[in-house]
Amino acid sequence: MSSYIRRRPGVILLLTLMLLTLPACVGGRIGVSWPAVGLIDFNGETHIALAYNNDVTLLTPSNGAPARLLNPLNGDVLRDKDNNPRTWALRGSENEGAQFHTLPVRIDDETVVIAAHNRRLLRVDSVLVEVQRSFPLADKVVASPLKLDGVLYLPYQNGGLSAISLEDYRELWRFPTEAGIWAQPLLADDMLILSSIDHFLYAIDRSTGQRIWALDLGGAVASTPLLANDRLYVGSFNKSFFEISLDGVILSEYATQNWVWGTPAIDAEGIIYVADLSGYVHALDTSGGLRERWSAQIAERGIRAGPLVYGERVIVASRDGKVYWLDRFDGELINAREIDDRPELLGDMMLLKPSETLAIDEPLLLVTSVHDARLLIAFGVDGRQTWVYPR
Amino acid sequence: MWDLILNPFVTILAWLYAALNQDIVLAIVVLTVIIRVLTFPLFAKQQESSKKMQQIQPQLKKLQEKYKNDKEKLSQAQMKLYRENKVNPAGGCFPMVIQFPILIGLYQAIFFALAATPFQLVDLSERLLIPGLDSLIPLQRMWTPIPQLVSVLPELDLTLAPTENPHYALILPLLVLITTWGQQKLTMSATGQAKSNKDDDDDDGGAPAGGQAAAMTKSMTTIMPIMFGFFSLSFSVGLSIYFVTSNLIGVVQYSPQGKRVLERVFRRKSSDAPPVEVIFEDDEPPAKTRKRKKKKPRKK
Repeated sequence: MSSYIRRRPGVILLLTLMLLTLPACVGGRIGVSWPAVGLIDFNGETHIALAYNNDVTLLTPSNGAPARLLNPLNGDVLRDKDNNPRTWALRGSENEGAQFHTLPVRIDDETVVIAAHNRRLLRVDSVLVEVQRSFPLADKVVASPLKLDGVLYLPYQNGGLSAISLEDYRELWRFPTEAGIWAQPLLADDMLILSSIDHFLYAIDRSTGQRIWALDLGGAVASTPLLANDRLYVGSFNKSFFEISLDGVILSEYATQNWVWGTPAIDAEGIIYVADLSGYVHALDTSGGLRERWSAQIAERGIRAGPLVYGERVIVASRDGKVYWLDRFDGELINAREIDDRPELLGDMMLLKPSETLAIDEPLLLVTSVHDARLLIAFGVDGRQTWVYPR
Repeated sequence: MWDLILNPFVTILAWLYAALNQDIVLAIVVLTVIIRVLTFPLFAKQQESSKKMQQIQPQLKKLQEKYKNDKEKLSQAQMKLYRENKVNPAGGCFPMVIQFPILIGLYQAIFFALAATPFQLVDLSERLLIPGLDSLIPLQRMWTPIPQLVSVLPELDLTLAPTENPHYALILPLLVLITTWGQQKLTMSATGQAKSNKDDDDDDGGAPAGGQAAAMTKSMTTIMPIMFGFFSLSFSVGLSIYFVTSNLIGVVQYSPQGKRVLERVFRRKSSDAPPVEVIFEDDEPPAKTRKRKKKKPRKK
């Protein structure tokens, strides 16, 4: 063999190159999903929770710095063996290679649970950020679970939802679907509303898991519906947006330009704002069916995340790496901010209003990107960049 | 730019999926067949070029021997030989260069069309070029070879590797290995390289003319099947189906019967004419050429 290699180094080199390049030919992103961002309270303080791939991190809203771990007895900052302050970060690499795309769920001031993508539910000591126990799950999880009355409702990437008791972590029941559930379940009128990419919107009894109704929306449904005025508003991949009654009847339908993935936003006047994956934003009047107020192509590429409404503005983030501020009355572009390197902005945005627990005195818009150096970007509502959190 | 190749493939695959009763495996097989048949003229051209190169190997070898101390003259003589025989030394590469993006595009189309995660599905949203296909998304990625025996042969998840599927999926890497070997073996026979390689081995054992190319083909026959079998262990089952189909079509293309049928369909004629021999005067620039006469077989 060695003489063969000596005689034919060119052949071996070529084959080695092929071996290295062919996997690259698969192309595309091998990643699973985008960052999840939300808020979590501990001991009277509110932190930003950010989950993406290998890490779940808590950040300080005022400056985006990782939240420091404090000694619960005296409030001193906990330090590692090199005397550096310890921060709130759970690493998947230290926990069976877990990947995270869902937000931690607070159980009490000392405990959170996190559904990992490796089919494990982790119970974590939130004071020391150490996994206390882990429980097997039926499948991978890409959407944040919903906690209600001591029960965790966990949607699965490849289909189904489990209700898990937070007392003993036993599965109470499981509701099957034909394909995955990629959006957090919604509580509406004491029912759980589930969006599934099997094209159906389901309403189920949250105590028994029995189906109440199922509605075929003609295309995959990947977002949590908006509940407003006893109606559900949700879009599908069939390039349609629906108004649905709480007993599962389609009341009105509006044709969009492309798939609708994000949860819509509503303003005080009952106008709904929907974005689609062609970069369009649509403003729909909900008084008497869905009637178009305006519709405009805003972004060069698709808008995955749902819009936000703040004051006179509608804010959207696009795959083209820009955040857009629009006039909510006519859709006119007021402002656009380009993120450095224009990473795709796919994760849901979040608006933080000034409060004591957040320790911020002006509203903050949080935008996630899939770029490690700009994982979370905070803007003032006027579009001024406040801080950036790199991983 | 790459999307110009990839997106039509993804769209056609989704369209075939719709047309073939939402059977994704059948859609992959049919699309692979269509692409391989359409690219047959390129395969044939490459094969012909390789064959011609093999035919002039003895003359190249003689030239190398003759002008071993004069590289410039060797180069001139080789060029002359190529010209007279209408051989482009890079001619075998050009069709390959064209085919490569097509085959990689097909390979990637399967990857994208079988989107199984939010990231993959977002990518897919920009790739479907025909309206109406959106309602098919996500494509059904669970498949069983015999639906009546689903209890014995449980459904395979085409987006997962064979190791993450029911045990019987491990037969796929083995099939990839066997069919890749079969195709490589037939490729060698079709281009005459197996024979040439044997001749080279019978020689003085030094580096023969064209020996590198022959050695490469020989090595590929051994290493490529192992390599692709190994890939198939870690790639999705859907891609293994593509590999197996593609290899089987290759076997048909390179088998004598398959070649004849395809040549008839594409109205091609394979060139079996003997190579033109080029004669040079000693230390004179290349001047005249003559056709080599066919030798009559000696009677014993």
